[in-house]
Amino acid sequence: MKKEGEGYKTKQNRKMIKTSLQPLQRFFRKYAIGYVFVAVPVLASIIFLYIPMITTLGWSFTEFSGLQPPRFIGIDNYVNLFTRDRVFIKALWNTTRFTFWGMLIGPTLGLLTALMLNQKIRFRTFFRTAYFLPVMTSLVVVATIWRMLYNQNGLLNLVLTSMGLEPIQWLSDPHWALFSIVIASVWQGFGFETVIFLAALQGIPKVLYEAAALDGASAWQRFRYVTLPSLRPVILFIYIIGIIGSFQVFDQVFVMTSGGPAYSTTTLVYYLYSKFLDLRLGYASAIAYILFGILVIFSFLQWRFFKEKD
Amino acid sequence: MFKKRILLIVTLMLIIAFALSACSTPTATEEKPAAEEPATEEAAAEEPAAEEPAEATEEVTITVWDYYGEASPITPIVEAFEAQNPGIKVQVEALDWDSTLEKLNVVMTGGTPPDVVTLDMTWLPSFAPLGAFADLSPLSGGQLNGVPLEEAYSPGAIDAMTYNGQVLAMLYDFDVYALYYRADLFEEMGLDVPTTWDELLTVGQTLGAEGKYQYAVMPDSFHAAQFIYENGGSILNADNTVAAFNQPEAVDAVEFYAGLVDAGAGYVWSFEEGWEITPGLKDGRIAMFADGPYYMGILKDAAPEMSGQWKVALHPYKLQPGSYLGGTGLVIPAKAEHPDAAWKFIEFAMTLENQIGVFENAGAAPALIAALESPEVNMADPYFGDQKTLEVFLKAMETARPFPYVREWNQIDEAITAAMEEILFGGVSVQDALDTAADTVNSALTP
Repeated sequence: MKKEGEGYKTKQNRKMIKTSLQPLQRFFRKYAIGYVFVAVPVLASIIFLYIPMITTLGWSFTEFSGLQPPRFIGIDNYVNLFTRDRVFIKALWNTTRFTFWGMLIGPTLGLLTALMLNQKIRFRTFFRTAYFLPVMTSLVVVATIWRMLYNQNGLLNLVLTSMGLEPIQWLSDPHWALFSIVIASVWQGFGFETVIFLAALQGIPKVLYEAAALDGASAWQRFRYVTLPSLRPVILFIYIIGIIGSFQVFDQVFVMTSGGPAYSTTTLVYYLYSKFLDLRLGYASAIAYILFGILVIFSFLQWRFFKEKD
Repeated sequence: MFKKRILLIVTLMLIIAFALSACSTPTATEEKPAAEEPATEEAAAEEPAAEEPAEATEEVTITVWDYYGEASPITPIVEAFEAQNPGIKVQVEALDWDSTLEKLNVVMTGGTPPDVVTLDMTWLPSFAPLGAFADLSPLSGGQLNGVPLEEAYSPGAIDAMTYNGQVLAMLYDFDVYALYYRADLFEEMGLDVPTTWDELLTVGQTLGAEGKYQYAVMPDSFHAAQFIYENGGSILNADNTVAAFNQPEAVDAVEFYAGLVDAGAGYVWSFEEGWEITPGLKDGRIAMFADGPYYMGILKDAAPEMSGQWKVALHPYKLQPGSYLGGTGLVIPAKAEHPDAAWKFIEFAMTLENQIGVFENAGAAPALIAALESPEVNMADPYFGDQKTLEVFLKAMETARPFPYVREWNQIDEAITAAMEEILFGGVSVQDALDTAADTVNSALTP
């Protein structure tokens, strides 16, 4: 950029001084269409994203019901969230646990499935479609179906009791509820990971495996020293996308448990929503910014990792 | 260099322009209510005289939000109302219970509110302190269709309608809890209807001996409150500043309630099976439960084959009878565009004839005393073995009281529900669970 600018300066210096309007005209003639095209998304994000974001940041320092003018209270909302609001701490903890379990099971399952599908098996396309189908299904639909499966007299408990086991109160036992949502979410999402891993697996050059085999590497060693390192950027990508998505979990909770029982499935976004329903917009904004902060940290990590790789 | 600078200036100007235009609109609307608030009362008092001639020539359309769903008592009266008030058109928006609350929040915080809303009275505490609803006194002059409010409603109902000295709602249907029981089974086994907790326990154990025909135990604040009140306890202290539901009388009450399960008298109804316990009633898991008069309508719709099997009675108690008092109120949002026309509609909905319609269309209990005493409502109901069911609920209303009207009610409600879930599903002791909930509530109540 610098070089180009300087070149521009030296070459056309005189002309510019003579007729100062000319470059402006030329500039518009040359780039006008481009800027018009760019303007649409830029304006859209300014209006629908950046302005609300700034407004929300402002609100997070106020007590604001939406009905009465906001009252500035400094960082009280943030202080109260961390020092006095045990439900918020619980929501933070629940969200972290949801993310941890989801990210532990989901990608592992996705990788295993991808490795399986990468073999020369029959009906590979069928399986690939089958695993990916839940991803394309609306989360609300999936959650509703799982809610039925989890019912006290639902299919899962029917299987358990037929095997002589005690039925589990999947969604009404506070110890189980969050994990039940994790299971449903993993089922819905791991097809995405499968497809990504599969694409990456097929991109690994065959030569590497041949060379490793020639060196006498076992199947495990080929996986450990060829497959895994080759998948590194993809694994990273999946984790970053997954973590960011998991921290924003809402639909499943909304449909399946409404945050209960005993706050055991209240997640950050669900708690934010409940504060909105209680007309505490200032407080809800503060929660939104804490979530935003968490996501910024993860996005920063992503950026760092990818930068190192490049 | 120039290119860049021009670009920078242009974008900056755009950003500033948008920021300014976007900022100025909300602040303008935000400031309005503050400026208007003191003036509304005077304006409302003056308006009727000033607006009447204008309304006669100009047609007004009022929007009414109706959460009753299919069995609505609102939609059938619209036509008659429009015929009687030629200048007013009514647009009914049919919603359900959940989405009404959500939409109300959205519209209250930025948008044009409807003119009349059917409001669950348990929502009133979170909206009322924010000045969301118009004080109806200037519109009503203390009268409803020419009858003073004190005569039209029971004292408990007036209490429920009043917040901070302002009458914010007209109670349209009311909700208090009584005991529903399987009269056929009681007769078969020679049991008497329980009137005390001890009797409830023994009757429940006899009925539920085989693991069916039990008393429904539900983890929510309505049922918890029922037992807490009946043992002389309360949800908050007298001036609504501290939780009282972890005091000994309340803890005893919840221990008794939850203890019904271990004693073999109670069946825990979990929300996995839906909020309505009807399936459990139909398949015989439940033979006794506490609920409001609206459940009569649900029962008749969902289980017509059980006609003649159920009856209602006052809920058994230990020290004193008690129940929460709620229902549906008709309110006018403070920012509604046509409060006068809205009030006319409310008055029309509250006529004796249309109050009887609440019973006939929605199966709910009308709130007007005159309607409750009318032969159409206070009839021998064949579904309930020719019992005059509403007499029971009317009697229960005498000792019922609304939940505390504090801004933090939603949090209190959630905290008590969570405690009940921990007790019934999580194996936490009653005292521990209620203490935790009390901590949450107390820190919410402390400014």
